[in-house]
Amino acid sequence: MASHITPHSPQARLWNRPRLPVGRWGLILGAVIIAAIFVIAVFAPWLAPHPPYEQSLSDRLVRPVFMEGGTWNHLLGTDHLGRDYLSRLIYGARLSLMVGFGTILLSAVVGISLGLLAGYFGGRTDLAVMFILTVRLSLPIMLAAISLVGLLGNSLFLMMVILASFLWDQFLVVTRSLTMRYRDAEFVLAARASGLSDIRIMLSEILPNLLSPLVVVATLEMAHAILLEAALSFLGLGIRPPDTSWGLMIAEAKDFVFFESWLVNIPGLAIFVLVAGITFLGEGLRVWLAPDNSQ
Amino acid sequence: MLNPLRRGLFAVLAAGIAFSPLAAHANKANDTLVAAFQAKLPSLDRYHSPGREGFLLGLLAYDALLYRDPTTFEVKPLLATAWRQVDEKTWEFDIRKGVKFHNGDPMTAEDVAYSFEYAANPDSKVFNRMTGGWISKVEVVDPFKVRVISDKVTPLALEYIIQLPIVPKAYREKVGLQAFAEKPVGTGPYKVSGGSGNDVVFTRNDDYFEGGGKSKPKIGKLIYRAIPDVNTQVAELIGGGIDWAYYIPTDQAEKLKRLPMVDVINADTFRIGFLTLDAAGLSDPKSPLKDVKVRQAIAYAIDRAAIAKSLVGGASKVIPSACTPSQFGCITDVTQYGYDVTKAKALMAESGYANGFDIDIYGYRSRPVAEAIIGYLNAIGIRPNLHWLQYSAVIQARRDHKTPIVIDDFGSAGVNDVGAALPFFFAESPDDQSRDPVVTQATKDAGSIADPDKRKALYATALKQIADQAYWVPMFTMPVNYVMSKTVDVPVPADENVEFWRATWK
Amino acid sequence: MAYYIARRLGLAVMVMLTISLLSFLMLKMSGDLAISMAGEGSGADYVEFLRKTYGWDKPLIVQYGDWLWKALRGDIGTSFYYGSPVLDLVAKSMPVTLTLGAWAIVIALGTAIPLGMAAGSRPGSWIDRIALFIALIGVSTPIFWLSFVLILVLGLEFAVLPISGGGTPAHFVMPAIALAFYSMPAIIRISRAGMIDVMRSDYIRTARAKGLRPHQIYLGHALRNTLVPVVAVASVQFGFLLGGSVVVENIFALHGIGYLTWEAINQNDYPVVQAALLTVSSAYVVLTLLADLLNVMIDPRIRLD
Repeated sequence: MASHITPHSPQARLWNRPRLPVGRWGLILGAVIIAAIFVIAVFAPWLAPHPPYEQSLSDRLVRPVFMEGGTWNHLLGTDHLGRDYLSRLIYGARLSLMVGFGTILLSAVVGISLGLLAGYFGGRTDLAVMFILTVRLSLPIMLAAISLVGLLGNSLFLMMVILASFLWDQFLVVTRSLTMRYRDAEFVLAARASGLSDIRIMLSEILPNLLSPLVVVATLEMAHAILLEAALSFLGLGIRPPDTSWGLMIAEAKDFVFFESWLVNIPGLAIFVLVAGITFLGEGLRVWLAPDNSQ
Repeated sequence: MLNPLRRGLFAVLAAGIAFSPLAAHANKANDTLVAAFQAKLPSLDRYHSPGREGFLLGLLAYDALLYRDPTTFEVKPLLATAWRQVDEKTWEFDIRKGVKFHNGDPMTAEDVAYSFEYAANPDSKVFNRMTGGWISKVEVVDPFKVRVISDKVTPLALEYIIQLPIVPKAYREKVGLQAFAEKPVGTGPYKVSGGSGNDVVFTRNDDYFEGGGKSKPKIGKLIYRAIPDVNTQVAELIGGGIDWAYYIPTDQAEKLKRLPMVDVINADTFRIGFLTLDAAGLSDPKSPLKDVKVRQAIAYAIDRAAIAKSLVGGASKVIPSACTPSQFGCITDVTQYGYDVTKAKALMAESGYANGFDIDIYGYRSRPVAEAIIGYLNAIGIRPNLHWLQYSAVIQARRDHKTPIVIDDFGSAGVNDVGAALPFFFAESPDDQSRDPVVTQATKDAGSIADPDKRKALYATALKQIADQAYWVPMFTMPVNYVMSKTVDVPVPADENVEFWRATWK
Repeated sequence: MAYYIARRLGLAVMVMLTISLLSFLMLKMSGDLAISMAGEGSGADYVEFLRKTYGWDKPLIVQYGDWLWKALRGDIGTSFYYGSPVLDLVAKSMPVTLTLGAWAIVIALGTAIPLGMAAGSRPGSWIDRIALFIALIGVSTPIFWLSFVLILVLGLEFAVLPISGGGTPAHFVMPAIALAFYSMPAIIRISRAGMIDVMRSDYIRTARAKGLRPHQIYLGHALRNTLVPVVAVASVQFGFLLGGSVVVENIFALHGIGYLTWEAINQNDYPVVQAALLTVSSAYVVLTLLADLLNVMIDPRIRLD
C-alpha cells in the first residue's frame, strides 16, 4: 500500500540519519559517565555535604574552592541564597535523570504501542497512526510545551507527561518499520497459524526483536528530554523551586553570568557531560548492535 | 570581586569604549538617550497603561493640571496656573492659556472636562479607578476655568488630579481609542514619534510651555526600550548600548559600581514589599490562612532583615507596619513579629498544622526574594507552589480569588499618604483579601473626611488591626539602584518618577 | 505526479485542521474567557452578557466552527493584555523569527555542509574529528548556556556585536549563531555520510580512473547528491528553529513569535498563545509541503514509491 512515508520523507530520514562513528572507547566512556551520574543521583543523601535546600543569606555567593576566596566548607561554593552548590548539583542530578527516564518511559509506551499497531495491522490503522505522527511533527515542540505547561501547571508528573507527548515519534517510526518487516516473517506466520492472538504476537514475538534498536532510540531521546527540561526550567516553566534541576540552576544563576560565571558554567558543564555521555552511549550502541547500517 | 583576568579585560574594554566612537558615544552624538525598562508599554494611551511604566508615560508625553516635584514633593502648577477649594467637595482650576497639543490643537477646559469624565466613567476601565472614580461632575465655567465636583469629601483629591493627564477631546474622538493608543497626542515635554511597545521613540516637544513644573527637555530624543532580561540590561550598560536603567538588583549593582563607564546611585522610594494573605478564604473556604495563628506563624518564619540586607540591598530596611514609614498616617507602634522559627513552628502546631500544608504562592518582581521566602516557609513545614507571572496577571488572579499568598509591592504612586495604599488593598476593594469590618470602616471613614488628626487616628486603628490579625506580612522598603552611563546625568528622584526632561549630557 | 501533489496537499490541509482544533481546545481550556474579558470586579450579569455576545454558551462544536470561519478570514482573536487583534501581534513578530531562522539556517548550511563534506572525503582525519566533535557539542550544549558564552565573548570581551534588540542585521548574528549551532550536527552528519557514499560509488571511481581532478568530482557530483537529503534536513531544522527560538529570543530580547508566546503565557493571555502556536504550525506544514514537492522535482524516483 502506498503511504506517503517513504525512505526519503522527513519522518524516515530522522531515523536513518547517519550515525556518528563512535568506537568502542566511546561506548565505554558513555556508559561510565552515565553510570557515575546514576550512582551520584541514587546516593545523593550520603554524598551531599550539606542539605540542598538549606539557605543562609549571610553566606551568599561564596566561591568554589579552586577560585580565590573559596573555602573547603563549600567545595563548589554557594548560590545566591547561600545554598551549597555541590549539594544542589548532586541533588539536581536526581531530577534531571528522573525527568529523563520518566519522560522516555512514557514516550516509549506511546510510541511503541502506536508503532506496533501501525506496523502489524497496516491499512487504515497505519494511515491513522501516520496521520497522528504528521500532526505531532507539525507542532513546534518548545512553543507547544511552554503553552501546555502554562496551561496545566508544572508538577513533576505533569512535566513528564507534557514532555513525553512530544518525544514519542522516534519510537513510533522505528517500531513501525521493523514491525512491518517482521510481520511477514516465518515465525510470526507460524504463531498466527497456531492461533495466538494478535496482541500476544505483537508483544511476545515481535517486540523482543526490537529491543536493541529501541534501546538506542531511548538513550538518544533521553538526551533530548533532559535538554528540553533544562530549557523549560530556564524559562521559568520547569521544575519548581526549591527542588532543583541543572536547568533550573542555570536559570537561577542567569543574573550572575557576567560576574560570577562559575554559577552558570558548573551546571552547564554538568548537562553537557550527561548529554554527551548519553550520546556516546547511544551512538556506540547503534554501531555495536547494527554495524551494517540496516535495521 | 572580579577576578584579575576579567578585571583586566574590562579595563581594556572600558578604555576602548572611552576612546572609540562606538555605541556609548554614538548615543550622545545622536543626542539620543536610550533608557531600558523591564516591561513594555502596553498602550501609548496613558489611561490604559498601568503600573510604573504607565506613570512614566504620563509624565513624558502628557501633562496633568498639577505636578508634584519628585524631590521636594511640593505641588506645582502645570496645565493649571492656579487652584482653590471652593467648598469641601469642589475644586476650581484656572487653565493655562496658549498651550498646544502635539498636533497643534489648542488645549482648553473642554479637554480637561473630557479627560476627567473619561477617567471617572467606570466603563472606560482606566488604569486605576480610584484616580478618577471620586469625580462626579466637571463644570466648564469658561474656556480656561473648570470646577471639579465630587459627591463626597476627598482628602486626596489633588493627588489624584496629579495623575490624570489631559488628552485632546477632538483628536481622540475623531481617531478613536485604538488609533489613539498607537499614535497618541498630549501636551507633554516629549512627543511620541515612533516605535511600538518595545522601542518607543520620544522626541523633544520644541513648543513646550514655560512656567510649569516641568521644562523643555535638554536632550533631543529619548528611546524607551523594553529589555525584560536584567542581564541583557547589564550587558548593554557595560557595552554602551543603553545609557540608563533602574531596578538593577543589588548583586549586579555592586559589581557595576566598580566599572568605569557607569555611575550607580541607590535611592529610596515609596515602594514597600509585603505578603498579602488570603485571610477571608476567598481562594479556598478551607484555607489554613483563615486561622490567625497560621498567618502569624508565617510572619514569624521569615527573616526579613536578612532578605532586606542581602537580597534587596542598598538602603533597604524592615518595615514594622503595613505602610511606607514616611507616609502621612503611617504608625510604627503595632504588633511586631520578629524572626522566630521556634515560635512559628509552635503556632503551626497549635493550629493543627504540625505537618505543614501545601499552598499556592504568586510573585512577579524578584525571583531571589521569592525563593528565599519559600525557603523560610519550607523550614516551618509549609510547601509553597510558586506561580511566577507578570504583574497584571498576578493582580488579575488575585481579583479572580485564586491567590492565597502574593509577594507584592506597592509604590503608592508616589503619594505620601497612607490613604493611597490602604483603600487599594482593604476596604472591600477587588484586592481586599481580609474583608475585615474594622479595617474597612476605619479606612472608608478616613477617606471621606478632611481633618488630618481624625484621619491619623482612623488609620492608626486600621493599621493596628491589620498587624494584630497579620493580614499582611510587611517586609521591607525597596530602594532602587539607578545605573547610568557616565556620559549622561539623569536626576534621581525620591519616588521612582524620573524627570527625563532634566537629563543632560556631560 | 499530479496525484502525488494532490494527495500531499490534501494531507497538509487535514493536518492544519487538526492542529486548529487542538489549539482551539487549548484556548477553551485556558479558563473562562468571559470572566477574563470582563475584567476586575465585574458583576455576574456582565459576564453572562459577554458570554451571549461572543456565543460562548453554544455547544463546543458550533463554537469551533465559528472560530474556524473567523480564523480563515483573518480574525484569530483579541489579546487580553493589549486589547488589539492577535493577528497584528503575530504579524509583527513573525518577520523577526523568520529573519532569525533564515540567518541561522544560512550560517548552519554555510558552515556545516563544507565541514561535513570535507570530513566525509577524509574519514578519520583531523578535520573529520573536528567535525564530529562539533556535531557532538552541538547536540549536547544547552542553547541558553551557549548564548551566554556568545554574549560574554562576542558582545562584551571583544564587543564586536550588539547584544539586545533587533534593530540592525548585526543584532541577529549572535542569536543566529546560537540557533545554528543546534542545527549544525544533523547537517554535518548528513553531508558527511552523503560524501562517504559518493566517494565509494562506482561513478566516482570511474571518474577518477578517467583522470578527473578531485575538486571537479566533489563540487560537481558530490554536492548534487548531498543536496537532496540536506534540503530535507534543512527544512526540518527550519521548522525546529521556528519553534525552538523561544530561549534565544528571550535572552537576546528579540521580539519574535517565541518571545511573544512566552510573554503571553506570563500574562495569561491565551488567545495570543493559541494563535502563535497555530501560526508556527501552519508555517511548518507549508514548509514541509514545499520541501517534499521540491524533493519530488529534484529526484523523480521518490514519487514512484
